[in-house]
Amino acid sequence: MSLDSNQLPTRRDEAWKWTDVRGHADGQAGLSAAGRPKFTLPEGVTIAEVPRDDLDTDTPMAKLARSFGGKVWAIDVPAGLQPSGPLIIENLNRGHIRIRIDIGKGAKLSVIEHHAGDSGSFTNLDMTVTLKASAELDRTLIHHDPDDAMRVVTAHITAWNEAKIVQQALSFGGNLSRLETRLAGMGKHIEAVLNGAYLLDGKRHTDMTSYIDLTAPDCTIRQAVKGVVTDKSRGVFQGKFHVRRPAQQTDAEMRHDALMLSDAAEVRSKPELEIYADDVECAHGNTIGQLDESALFYMRQRGIPLGQARALLTEAFLTEVFDDMADEDLKISLLEKIQNWLAVT
Amino acid sequence: MLKINNLTAAVDAGQKTILEGLSLEIPAGEVHAVMGPNGAGKSTLSYVLTGREGYDVTGGKVELEGENLLDMDPEERAAKGVFLSFQYPLEIPGVPTMTFLRTALNAQRKARGEEEMSAPEFLKKSRALAKDLKIKPDMLKRPLNVGFSGGEKKRMEIFQMMMLEPRFIVMDETDSGLDVDALRIVADGVNRLRNPDRGMLIITHYQRLLDYIVPDKVHVLAGGKIAASGDADFAKKLEAEGYDAYAA
Repeated sequence: MSLDSNQLPTRRDEAWKWTDVRGHADGQAGLSAAGRPKFTLPEGVTIAEVPRDDLDTDTPMAKLARSFGGKVWAIDVPAGLQPSGPLIIENLNRGHIRIRIDIGKGAKLSVIEHHAGDSGSFTNLDMTVTLKASAELDRTLIHHDPDDAMRVVTAHITAWNEAKIVQQALSFGGNLSRLETRLAGMGKHIEAVLNGAYLLDGKRHTDMTSYIDLTAPDCTIRQAVKGVVTDKSRGVFQGKFHVRRPAQQTDAEMRHDALMLSDAAEVRSKPELEIYADDVECAHGNTIGQLDESALFYMRQRGIPLGQARALLTEAFLTEVFDDMADEDLKISLLEKIQNWLAVT
Repeated sequence: MLKINNLTAAVDAGQKTILEGLSLEIPAGEVHAVMGPNGAGKSTLSYVLTGREGYDVTGGKVELEGENLLDMDPEERAAKGVFLSFQYPLEIPGVPTMTFLRTALNAQRKARGEEEMSAPEFLKKSRALAKDLKIKPDMLKRPLNVGFSGGEKKRMEIFQMMMLEPRFIVMDETDSGLDVDALRIVADGVNRLRNPDRGMLIITHYQRLLDYIVPDKVHVLAGGKIAASGDADFAKKLEAEGYDAYAA
C-alpha cells in the first residue's frame, strides 16, 4: 500500500495554511514506510512493540502514522520511578513512527529527541504521552534536518492532577518542518513550560504549533518561542490556549518574538486565546523586529566587529528561552549549537 | 596626534550640512574641550570621528597619527585606539557587562595582532577598576547598562574607557546626568588616563566638567566650524557671556 497524497494536509486546512505538506511531499523517501527509531532507555523504563491501535489521536498526520507506521513503540515508566538518566530517541531519520509513553503516578522522565533526517526524506513522528498524577516530563527536541528533508512531529500529551511538563525545542529547520505540541490538561494544578527557538537560513521552514486545552482549575502555563530568520527562510508560530469553563484560576502566558535578519525572510504568527472560564489570567504577546542599529554601532565603537556584534545580540535574544533548563550539560550543548549556527551564518 | 582638516559633514542622506569646514589639531598629551550652543554640531563631530552610519563626510580629512580614519569601519577605528564616551550609552540586553567588555578588549587586541588578555588577568584588572569607580561587582554581571541609572551608565563608560586604554578619547557630554560626587569620580578616572601619549577631546555644553578636568585648550564650535579658541580660562568667560558672540 502506498500513500495517497490526498491524505496529506494542504494549505486549505486552516491549521496547515502556512505549512504546505502536500505541496512538498512528492518523491520524498519514507512516505509510505515505517521508521526505525533507536531508543536508549534509563534503568527501570521498559519498551515493547505493541500492535495496539487505540491511540486516541485524530489529526491527519496521526492517521497516516497509524496506516503506515506499523506497530507502536510503547514505553512505560512505572509509578514512582525517577531514573537518573534520560530516554534518548535517535534515528528519527525517515518514515512514519508511533511512540507511546506512559509515565506512572509520581514518576519522572527526561526525554531527548534527536530529529535529524536523511537527505530527501520524509519523517512523521506521532507521539502520545500520558502523565499520571504528580508525574513529570522534561522533553527536549533537537531538530536539524538537511535542507531537502521534511518532518512532522506531533506530541499529544495528556496530563492529570499536579503533573509537571517542561519542554524545550531547538530547531534549525529543514525543507519543511513542523513541531506540534498538543497538551490536554485533564487534571488540576498542572504546570507546563513550553519553550522553543528556531534559527533558519537558506530556504528552510520551521513551524512551531501548539494547542493547549485546559479543562481543570489552577493550571499554570508558560510559553516562550523565539525565532531568527535570515535569507529566504520562513518561521511559523501558531499557539492556542483553550481554557474551558471549569478551568478557573488558570494562569497562562504565551510569547512569540522573532528577529528578521533579511528582508526576504518571512515570519507568520497566529497567537489565539479561547477562554470560557471567568476567573483566569491569560496573556499573549507577539513581536517581529530587527537588531537595534544603535546598539550595533555602540558595540562596534568598542571594537567588536559587525558580524560578532550581530551574533552576540542574536544569541542574547534567543537564549533566554533555555534559562529554565534543569540539565546544565544539555543546556550548554544547546547553546553551543546556537553559537555554531551564528558563527557560520 | 589627531588632525582634523577642513571637515564637512551632512546628515539626512546629505540633505543637511552640519559641519562646514572644521579644522582642529590635538597633539598627544593634550586635552582639548569643544564647547558650543545646542545644535552647533558637537555630537555630529563625535559620530563623524567614530564612523557612525548616517553621518556622511562630504569633504576634508581626519588623521590619527598620520592614518586616515575616515576610510575605516567603526571597529577598525576602535582598534586604532579611538574611544567615544557616549552622551546616551546604549543598553545591550542579554549581554553581561563583563562578557561585552572582554569581547571588545580581545577583538581590539586581535585586530592589532596582540595576544588576548587571559580571563584571570581580565578579572583582576576589572575588579580593581570597578572598586576605584565605586561600581558594585554585581553590576558587572548584569546586561550592560540595562536598568542602570543615568549616572551609573556614565560611570560604566569611564570604566570601559579605563579597561580598554584607548589612545584617543572623545567624551560627549559626559557630565550630563551626573551629580557632584559622581562627577568627581568620573573626573578622577579621566585625569588618571592623562599621559604624554594620549589625546582627549571633551565635548560639553557647560563649563562645570572643566573645573574637574582642566583642558589645555578650549574651542568654540559654532556654525559648523571652530569659531574661537583659548586657554582653560576661556571656558569660564564663555560660561559667563554665552555663545551669542559666535553665532554664525
